[in-house]
Amino acid sequence: MARLLPTVFLIVAALVFPYSVDRIFLHTPIEREMGTAQKIFYFHVPLAWLMMAFAVTSGIAAVVQLRRASVRAEATSLAAAELVLLTGLGVLITGPIWGHATWGHAWTWDARQVTTGLLWLVFAAYVLVRRYGAAGSDRLAAALAIFGAVDVPIIYYAVRIWNTTHPGNRVVATLPAEMWNSLWPALIALTLVSVALLLVRLRQELTDIALDEAWILFNERDGHEQQHS
Amino acid sequence: MRSGSLARQAWILARNDLRQESRDLELVLTAGFFSLVVLVMFGLSFSALDRHAQVLAIPGVLWLAVAFVGALTLTRIFDREREADTLRALLVAPVERQAIYLGKAAVTLLVLVGCNAILVPGLVFLFPAAAPMAERPLETLALVVLGCLAYTSVGTLFAAGLASSSGKNVLLSVILYPLTTPALLLAVVATRALLEGHPLFLTYLGQLAAIDVVTLALSVWLFESVLVGADASARRRSAAGPRR
Amino acid sequence: MTVPTHVLELRGISKRFGRLAVLRQVEFVLAPGEVLGLIGANGAGKTTLLSIVAGLLPPSEGERRYWGEPVTELRCEHRARMAIVSHTAQVYARLTARENLRLFDELRGTAGLASAQPDALLDRLGLGHARDRLAGTFSRGMLQRLALARALLGAPELLLLDEPFTALDRPGRALLADVLLEERSRGAAIFLSSHDFDAIAEVADRVLLLEGGRIVGQVARRDAADFRVALQRLAGHLPERDRMREGLRA
Repeated sequence: MARLLPTVFLIVAALVFPYSVDRIFLHTPIEREMGTAQKIFYFHVPLAWLMMAFAVTSGIAAVVQLRRASVRAEATSLAAAELVLLTGLGVLITGPIWGHATWGHAWTWDARQVTTGLLWLVFAAYVLVRRYGAAGSDRLAAALAIFGAVDVPIIYYAVRIWNTTHPGNRVVATLPAEMWNSLWPALIALTLVSVALLLVRLRQELTDIALDEAWILFNERDGHEQQHS
Repeated sequence: MRSGSLARQAWILARNDLRQESRDLELVLTAGFFSLVVLVMFGLSFSALDRHAQVLAIPGVLWLAVAFVGALTLTRIFDREREADTLRALLVAPVERQAIYLGKAAVTLLVLVGCNAILVPGLVFLFPAAAPMAERPLETLALVVLGCLAYTSVGTLFAAGLASSSGKNVLLSVILYPLTTPALLLAVVATRALLEGHPLFLTYLGQLAAIDVVTLALSVWLFESVLVGADASARRRSAAGPRR
Repeated sequence: MTVPTHVLELRGISKRFGRLAVLRQVEFVLAPGEVLGLIGANGAGKTTLLSIVAGLLPPSEGERRYWGEPVTELRCEHRARMAIVSHTAQVYARLTARENLRLFDELRGTAGLASAQPDALLDRLGLGHARDRLAGTFSRGMLQRLALARALLGAPELLLLDEPFTALDRPGRALLADVLLEERSRGAAIFLSSHDFDAIAEVADRVLLLEGGRIVGQVARRDAADFRVALQRLAGHLPERDRMREGLRA
């Protein structure tokens, strides 16, 4: 049953997505100040939320991985970290597009923009450490994920702490109802897709580990037979 | 183990590192000269800036220098450990692992703050806009210590992790810069507030202190797990039930 | 209530790195006043096993018991009663021999643990003349002896040694063998791995053969009429190239 979950999610997302695009572009009023370019907001914001959610997930899984030496937690942490990179890429591309169209600057060195970029780099370091590090580096990577997760609140409050060109935190809470209603489908579609990807990646990683163990068991049996023959 | 002995052990280890350093002064000289070079280069590049532009440039200069000296210091300190594998000798001794972390962090912090003893007066000398740093020495000292502490607390954890696993040095740069930049950015903002006489300076200082507390606590907590790792075998065995 | 008779007990210890199984189901016990030797080809897993016993590496599976107590994490109180001499000396090159020992002496002191006198230890291990020389100037054999002196600071009840004879010359080997036998008579439990069959034959009470991560053979001195010959026969299981390197006759 659990095996089908990613497929189910992707199918539902495939249905919700066209509906969402339709709503956003054809049935939502154009924003007064920023014009059509503002529509990117409906993709940019969910991606940003997802990025932070995955960062926190990766961090929490990393804590479990270190405290209990749990292999499942490690796989979850890794899969979530890769999704931080994917969604982060979405945020860091849609953001500048929006910025350029609206304010004429793609990269404004705004605090939230910068700290999001840094979060992306932290998790890029995570993936690099896992790949190119030596034997004990999975624990080091876990520490990275934990620090990355701690970064998330810093990003969230970055707008409050510094003067920035970024629309304030209050924007989403004060959206008029029609815009809010268009945000939901986009959020749902993107969430379903990314969670589906997470589950697929997780399963892939766990299968890899199971293969390693099977290999070892097989060799063990082989070794035994050779010894007794 | 009593917490008093944790502090004493950290002190003994830090003193040990300093004693070794006093034998050849390599680290102190390298870091010191590096700070001088940074000063000279920025002095030459930015001397023509008007006062307002200077206020914007100086914080960046200062904390960029700290970032580079920090990476240099951590690399040197832990390269020695890695070459002789002495970290392992400490890990098998009846020494609290956290004392190892605290000792190393203390030495790194000392070197960084020491380099600031070159950087800050140098900046004051070169740029008139940096005068507030001389006029308010206590605030400047607090800023320098808190900023360097943020860098040190994170850097020591990861440098030690890499040193003990025969890992590659290049990864340290990849890890260090993204992790320390948020705190350094806050330090930059605070420095600018100091130079402008901005009323929010103390608030920023407080926030920097809060970040220090968080990163320090997190690093101390994670140090042992990263270096040695937990043992799941007992838990797994009991979950699987008795064998045979 | 039974008094634990074993200093060290390993059950079902396995260690994997990804697809590589370095240790498989290793089991043995070690009693106080006993010297247990471990021989095996390069890459058989000897250093990994010693690292696991020393608490530097967690096993993938299995149980470790120290003084009868099952342990998942070696805390300070366990580490206070044991010491390891690795095949790299792990001493501070920029400190003198005496300073190296004093450092660990002081560290033990903060935990309220007594230590032997550093100077006396240096004399015992033939380093008295070099006590104020920087460890960075030492030869490999001297470094090894310094590491041993550090290990003996705490009069450990469990002493682990990884290839201790390798770096030593003939007199050094004789000295080490004497020291080990002295420690044994003091009641310490000693576990060492080595390639040097003569030395092992001299000091060990029991020897295990590790091959492909498994303990595949064992020989005890009290069971064998001629221990040296029994050891050679056990070692005969080693791959050809290792036997030749040790100069053993088939």
